[in-house]
Amino acid sequence: MRTITKKPEVLAPAGTLEKLKTAIHYGADAVYIGGDAYGLRSRAGNFSFDEMREGVAFAKERHAKVYVAANMVTHEGDADGAGEFFRTLRDIGIHAVIVSDPALIEICATESPGLPIHLSTQASATNYETLEFWREEGLERVVLAREVGMEEVQAIREKTSVEIEAFIHGAMCISYSGRCVLSNHMSQRDANRGGCSQSCRWKYDLFDMPYAGEHRSLVGGETEEPFSMSAVDMSMIHHIPELVENGIDSLKIEGRMKSIHYVSTVSNVYRQAIDTYCADPDNYVFNQEWEDELWKVAQRELSTGFYYGVPTEDEQLFGKRRKIPVYGFIGQVLSYDEETQIATIQQRNNFGVGDEVEFYGPGFTHFTQTVDVLWNEDEEVIDRAPNAMMIVKTKVAAPVKPFDMMRKKK
Amino acid sequence: MIELIATAESVAQGKALIDCGIDTLYIGEDFYGLRLPYSFSLEEIEELTTYAHQANKEVCVAVNALFHQDRIEKVAPYLKALEAIKIDRVTVGDPGVIRILKKEAPTLKFVYDAQILVTSANQINFWVNRGAVGAVLAREVTYEELQIIRPQVQVPIEMLVYGATCIHQSKRPLVENYFHFIEEEEDTSKERGLFISEPKKEDTHYSIYEDINGTHIFADNDINLMPELDKLINNDFAQWKLEGIYTKGDTFVAIVQLFVQAKEAFEAGKWTPALMEILNQQLIELHPAERGLDEGFFVKNPGDVK
Repeated sequence: MRTITKKPEVLAPAGTLEKLKTAIHYGADAVYIGGDAYGLRSRAGNFSFDEMREGVAFAKERHAKVYVAANMVTHEGDADGAGEFFRTLRDIGIHAVIVSDPALIEICATESPGLPIHLSTQASATNYETLEFWREEGLERVVLAREVGMEEVQAIREKTSVEIEAFIHGAMCISYSGRCVLSNHMSQRDANRGGCSQSCRWKYDLFDMPYAGEHRSLVGGETEEPFSMSAVDMSMIHHIPELVENGIDSLKIEGRMKSIHYVSTVSNVYRQAIDTYCADPDNYVFNQEWEDELWKVAQRELSTGFYYGVPTEDEQLFGKRRKIPVYGFIGQVLSYDEETQIATIQQRNNFGVGDEVEFYGPGFTHFTQTVDVLWNEDEEVIDRAPNAMMIVKTKVAAPVKPFDMMRKKK
Repeated sequence: MIELIATAESVAQGKALIDCGIDTLYIGEDFYGLRLPYSFSLEEIEELTTYAHQANKEVCVAVNALFHQDRIEKVAPYLKALEAIKIDRVTVGDPGVIRILKKEAPTLKFVYDAQILVTSANQINFWVNRGAVGAVLAREVTYEELQIIRPQVQVPIEMLVYGATCIHQSKRPLVENYFHFIEEEEDTSKERGLFISEPKKEDTHYSIYEDINGTHIFADNDINLMPELDKLINNDFAQWKLEGIYTKGDTFVAIVQLFVQAKEAFEAGKWTPALMEILNQQLIELHPAERGLDEGFFVKNPGDVK
């Protein structure tokens, strides 16, 4: 029986230390985080050096890696101190930095030798000559532009030995990443320095000016739909075999701003799908539950981006949205007593007796039950768990483990 | 020495621009170059190169697209053809092209031009150290930053002094997708003259069009740095680009002539605020009525947009 031993890495986003630990528990081989500077997510939780140390220690114990995104496009002064920053990351044990600005690449390469550099998708690498250019510059890995198709991935793979990373899940820039300053011009916020205001998702008028100064709007049709550039999100869950067979080294999940509910669910699904395929590729059968799981944390409809052609109007967010089943994250399991079948849970959102809830955990375990009894920390019977982070106990229908999550349909 | 660089929309206009006193013609084919007023064939590029060289002028050819696999293979033969025609330099925005250039057309000079992504001296120097003879600066850089950048860089830095500036490139046909959705048939090319305006800002008018390189969106107003030319000169920014993608025909040539007058005045030591006012007034009158003008990020403070 054929098996695949060189599995691609599942690379998950981690906006906080809690998300880092969650992602790794749920099967991510690596996570990417942001530091206090030089990144693109000024509003995502960013890591202090101490948090990085803790994250790296946690990851190392579990043979996982931690990358730091430093993918800002710097203006004068922004790169000050970057050499010290990169040296500190290296000494903390960060496995690589994700960079797009050549000035930062140079600083990292010369001032912090030994710290591997990954080219960010912000640099829009779309052909093998470009990947070879960066390989010759000493980069370890290139994150492909999201505009690269599956056939192109295959052709690129054949012609370069540099590691290839590709996005497989999450929200997408509508532009070639990096090649957009709508936000700079419309919101006075620098898209390439962490200030992106997502102007592409706004609703615009589209018009011509047959006579100077006279706007003639072209929007509408029968639907009255305004012009927008907003796209649906990406999910490649149906295409795991091609992603593996084309030799992509790292499969990246987008979303450093997303919740631990999202991070755990998506990491879990891709871990399971990739392991299933690699264990027995010739008898691989797609499991519909994987897709169903992903829908539980989806914010928008899902598509395959540019992998199988240029996206059409069907991959843009126009018109009435399909109703996506929305699940709320309500709790996390802290401990479980096998004898009594009672789980201790940290509440994350209001739930109570009578609610139908779902438990899920690493390794793609999950089950649904109705909450029929609930105690507070003092063992008093309660009807609901209304307070954020309160500790409660409940009887569960199947064994659970610490780090298992609890969710409920909204 | 001030160098005036201008785009062209035809062979005839290219010759007219050379005749009127520009130093470098910026042309190319849209298979290889981005956002050009016209897509010139190699024969046309050769004709204009011969014409330019006879007048002791130069030609720069745009090879600044982002190349996907289907196009990257065609870059080497194209660069060799440009080398054979003896054009003076190319613009490049995809590092893969630099790699090809060094192997296949080593005598061809290149300028690094990834527009939005060139915002600091160290970035420019990175590309200079890899062979670039110059760089095109992002239009999102302020005057205060320009003054810090210039002393750190030994090569010419090109500045847009007149014309439209791109603020977004998507590979998606964003306008076509929209018209398909509302079930309308529409031309989405630059000739159609489409604009978008921001929500609640009806008087904004960002040009938008599609071509084989995707969808392109331009800043609300076109750039006009005529009132700031003395500051550019004082800080050794002497490579001035004039972009004619949305300024057509004789109007563009007439506007270019105003900058030729400015250049001659500077070189003769005769630049005065009064002359600036005259030229600027003429420029404003010539500029297409449906399009605005401003000085863009040049007049912003570095802290305004973070």
